[in-house]
Amino acid sequence: MSPSQLLILVPLLPLLAALATVIAGRRLGSRAHLPAVFGIAAAAIVAVSLVITTARSSGGGENPRPVDMVTTLWEWATVADAYEPEAGSPAAVPGTAIGADAHAARPLSIAVALRLDPLTATMLAIITGVGLLVAVYSIGYMHDDPGYPRFFALVAMFVFSMSMLVAASNFLLVYVFWEAVGACSYLLIGFWFSKPEAARAAKKAFLVNRVGDFGLAIGVFLLWLTYGTLDFHDTLSPDGTILPGILGQTRLADVSGYVGGLVGTAICLLLLLAACGKSAQLPLHVWLPDAMEGPTPASALIHAATMVTAGIYLIARCAPLYMACPGALVTVSIIGTTTALVAALIGTVQNDLKRVLAYSTISQLGYMFASLGTGTLLGFTAAIFHLLTHAFFKALLFLGAGSVMHSMGGVIDMRRFGGLRKLMPITAVTFLIGSLALAGIAPFAGFFSKDEILASLHSKGWPDAHHAATGEHHALLTTPGLTGQTIHDVGYRGVSAQSDHALSSSAATGLDALNQPFVWQLLFWMALITAGLTAFYTFRAVFMTFTGPLRVPEEAGHHAHESPPVMTLPLLILAVPATLAGLVLFSTESLSHFLAATPSFTAPSVLETATPAVFHWDLAIQGTLAAALGIVLAAVGHLGRRSDGPQMERWLGPFRPFLEHRMFIDQLYVGLIVKPLEAIAFLAAMFDRAFIDGIVRGVAWLPVATGAVVRRLQSGMVQRYALAGVIGVLAIIVILAWRL
Amino acid sequence: MTPIASPFTTVSLPTAALSGIDWLSPGVLLAAAVTCLAVSLWLVLPKAGRSGTFSRRLGLLLGAITLGLFIATGHRLGNLGEEAVLLTVSLVAVISAAATITCRSPVYAAIWFALCLSGVAGVLLVLGAQFLGVATIVVYAGAILVMFLFVLMLAQPSGLTTSDRITNEPLLSAVAGAVLLGLLSLSIGRLSADAPACCRLPTKAAALGATAESTPAASVDLLAADQVARLGGELFGRHLVAVEAIGILLLIALIGAIAIVSHGLEGDQAETSSLQEGRQA
Amino acid sequence: MMLPTLLAAAALPLLQNGLFVGAILFSLGLVGILTRRNLIVMFLSAELMLQGISVSLVAWSRYHGDFGGQVLVIFVLSVAACEAAVALVFVLQAFTRTGRLDAAAWQSLREASLPRSVDHEIPAFNDAMPSFPRLTQAGHSPATDEAAASQRDHV
Repeated sequence: MSPSQLLILVPLLPLLAALATVIAGRRLGSRAHLPAVFGIAAAAIVAVSLVITTARSSGGGENPRPVDMVTTLWEWATVADAYEPEAGSPAAVPGTAIGADAHAARPLSIAVALRLDPLTATMLAIITGVGLLVAVYSIGYMHDDPGYPRFFALVAMFVFSMSMLVAASNFLLVYVFWEAVGACSYLLIGFWFSKPEAARAAKKAFLVNRVGDFGLAIGVFLLWLTYGTLDFHDTLSPDGTILPGILGQTRLADVSGYVGGLVGTAICLLLLLAACGKSAQLPLHVWLPDAMEGPTPASALIHAATMVTAGIYLIARCAPLYMACPGALVTVSIIGTTTALVAALIGTVQNDLKRVLAYSTISQLGYMFASLGTGTLLGFTAAIFHLLTHAFFKALLFLGAGSVMHSMGGVIDMRRFGGLRKLMPITAVTFLIGSLALAGIAPFAGFFSKDEILASLHSKGWPDAHHAATGEHHALLTTPGLTGQTIHDVGYRGVSAQSDHALSSSAATGLDALNQPFVWQLLFWMALITAGLTAFYTFRAVFMTFTGPLRVPEEAGHHAHESPPVMTLPLLILAVPATLAGLVLFSTESLSHFLAATPSFTAPSVLETATPAVFHWDLAIQGTLAAALGIVLAAVGHLGRRSDGPQMERWLGPFRPFLEHRMFIDQLYVGLIVKPLEAIAFLAAMFDRAFIDGIVRGVAWLPVATGAVVRRLQSGMVQRYALAGVIGVLAIIVILAWRL
Repeated sequence: MTPIASPFTTVSLPTAALSGIDWLSPGVLLAAAVTCLAVSLWLVLPKAGRSGTFSRRLGLLLGAITLGLFIATGHRLGNLGEEAVLLTVSLVAVISAAATITCRSPVYAAIWFALCLSGVAGVLLVLGAQFLGVATIVVYAGAILVMFLFVLMLAQPSGLTTSDRITNEPLLSAVAGAVLLGLLSLSIGRLSADAPACCRLPTKAAALGATAESTPAASVDLLAADQVARLGGELFGRHLVAVEAIGILLLIALIGAIAIVSHGLEGDQAETSSLQEGRQA
Repeated sequence: MMLPTLLAAAALPLLQNGLFVGAILFSLGLVGILTRRNLIVMFLSAELMLQGISVSLVAWSRYHGDFGGQVLVIFVLSVAACEAAVALVFVLQAFTRTGRLDAAAWQSLREASLPRSVDHEIPAFNDAMPSFPRLTQAGHSPATDEAAASQRDHV
């Protein structure tokens, strides 16, 4: 089978599994996991084979060919001559339209098309791999739950939707599956819908995500107006002309193929809004901590490893769009870094183990945004690299937390248990590995990806230092098609210098003023502080849970024990990449070279920012020192006998309630949005009750009043009815006779 | 015709308007007959309150006047013998019909109805429908009426219930019936070949819904000796399908009556008790 | 063949007289059905109306020289027979439920808030009424007077 046919299998198998579970779930009973597990396992095998295929066809090495394999399944909708590009519009850039007429009208054609490239292959491998382990783990975790078949149907449905999201080659399809994963997330958060908190959390997640989805919808409309197509890939019209897709080879090869200025920045900021919603970034992060009301495996899969990375994927996919808008890029970084710091600060005082991990997820996603916002090839690949390692160790941590929760009888408050390392050694060891990876300690996965992120931020803050060290590699990495630009100018500046209108209109957006080295230096320091905080709250959780004297809450009963093998096996499997993935992928540079073959990253604007991967000793030492400091502080506060108390928090003084109430962001939303809306709703309700209901009641009163009079005729004496009928007939006859 | 002195002249009505009225024209006679009919029916019908013998007798007198007015407004046939026969049987039918509805005892009402049926049979015979005249006697008086009497004896073997002694809205009903009769009489009186287009007597073709393609059969002599045979031929020829349908209807009515009776025998106690209100009154 | 020609000359007056008799019967039947409370008499009145219709139909049949009207009267007769059968069953059912043949016995079907219609000033009926033979309902064995039966001198 060709790779594109294999690509269809990846979403198709989980979809079939979901349908099978829906149809036969009740009949399967306690074996309802079989379709989902086998479907996702088969999809995972296919996804790994796709990674290998893609890597082979990209040629490997340091100068890979772009890989771009498109399969069009069917045409969903076609409207002929829907778009007529005006002269000078980017949709009619002569260089991007090969053929007779660049200004010819184009159809709106929404094709259900899947595109295989390294980014998609990587995402698919993560989604199906983590999905498989989570599904296996859920066999044990969800055992005896009345909604057992429903859970596996939803997980399979989620894997299908997420695979389609990352494989779709059309912005409209991306939107569709963006909503689909949101729906799966909603259903899984509210899985135990009879619990009011779970129902409320699901509603909250849905509503907050709606804000982001609104951004995506408007962004897609703007993309259509600007570029005259929604396809990623180039399409060949019947008359032989090539319609350049937004992320197709034709437009990517054109140095002025992307719009900057106000429109470009607006598109990028709207897509960023969408990404903020889905990936829980600062203004819209409030739903993720509450989403922990869902089953822990769902939290691991959706709210840690995969769905929340959709925002990262979207921005990475749209990298060329962002490269034309430096103001939008720096906004991405600022939001990411701020989120990382704020979430880490809040995470330091949480006592709920899953909430600590939730804030940690928000914080790590903030790291990825910060890295994406640097607008360098290193930044993009570092973000995906961190996405990959984070998926492994965060899923590991969540599954470990689930294992603890499972044996503690549903209790997740860290103050109520402790010293569990004796009780559940496998969970303790794997959780420790995950924590080391999250904290960024040397040989573990998180260390390398976090180091790359810090390096990308550092390269923007202190550009000269980096280029002095790595200048000799540039000749190698420059694409032949590019004019000789000065390489020392890293980042967006080379691009904007080439495109006059981009330069002039970029200056119009005030956000560009933020793109200053001192801003980047500030962001770097914030990220470094976050690294220390991350280590602190992670090990605070480790110490509170696993060290000190053994304490078990009464809910656990007398049978508190290590989880069954079906749950510990995924932990052990996940511990391997959490330990080794970073080292292997970094040392061989295989991931960065692999990802560099993604079409979006082969745009000239991205490619010219390429720097060789070097290990930055200075940054590594800074990061490790910060992490070590965090661990030491956590040990001082919570190790051993102090594992049950808020020792550290006492030192925070007035900041403690501020952080414990999550910086009052929820309350701020309640005050700024919910309360005014409730006031408007109250006024509307008053208007409805007083005025509209008054009209309705008035109308309803008429027949009542008429009936009160008329029903006196309903005497029960049939002959009176007959008499009334006869009199009526006589009246009709008289009237007719009169008219004659 | 000279206007006769009207009692209305003493009232404030203008004499000039009344003097132009032909007091013996059929329209005036009809109006008088209808009014008399309404009043006499109201007087004769059993009703609440004191119903003295005087009022009943007055009602009977007015009824006789009504009959006389009806006879006066009738149309002459030109054949005295035929006229006399028709008048006799019509009077029998009408008087016994009036007695049917005014008689208090249901049993007597049924017997008056039987007499009325014989009068109707006579009218039918005069109108040339010999088979129908006989069939009416046989089917109605012989079968249906006997069934009514059976039910009466089953349910109410003796005496009069209160509901037989009073009637429902006698005045209004009598007026309504009289007005209906007046309207019908007006339209019957207008029937003539030279009436305005609106109320002209329909031709046979129009009455039978003839179209350009199908002209109706020519008029047959209904009084021929073999008329019953020809009626049978008509019935089982042109109207065969309707005859079959009527046969099925009879069967269904038979089965339905049996089904209702057998269902009712089980008795619905709850429903029965809810209707005890009527029984206790 | 003297009679047909004679009658043909008087066709229109004959039609009018026939229709008139039919109209009187119909109107009297209508008054009866509106006023009389006894269910049986109400049905008698309905039959009276049917008779009026039959007379009118036959009059038209005669006028047009067509058997259609008479055929229709035969159908009227048949339908009246069906109606009588079913209606009498209903009357019997009503009687077994309420114990009365009064149409007003069903006035509990009135609007809930309305008061009951009660008969006032029911006139006394002093005339001696003959007693009619009594029929026992089917399915019940008639109560026999053993003493009277033993003393009967003839059967």
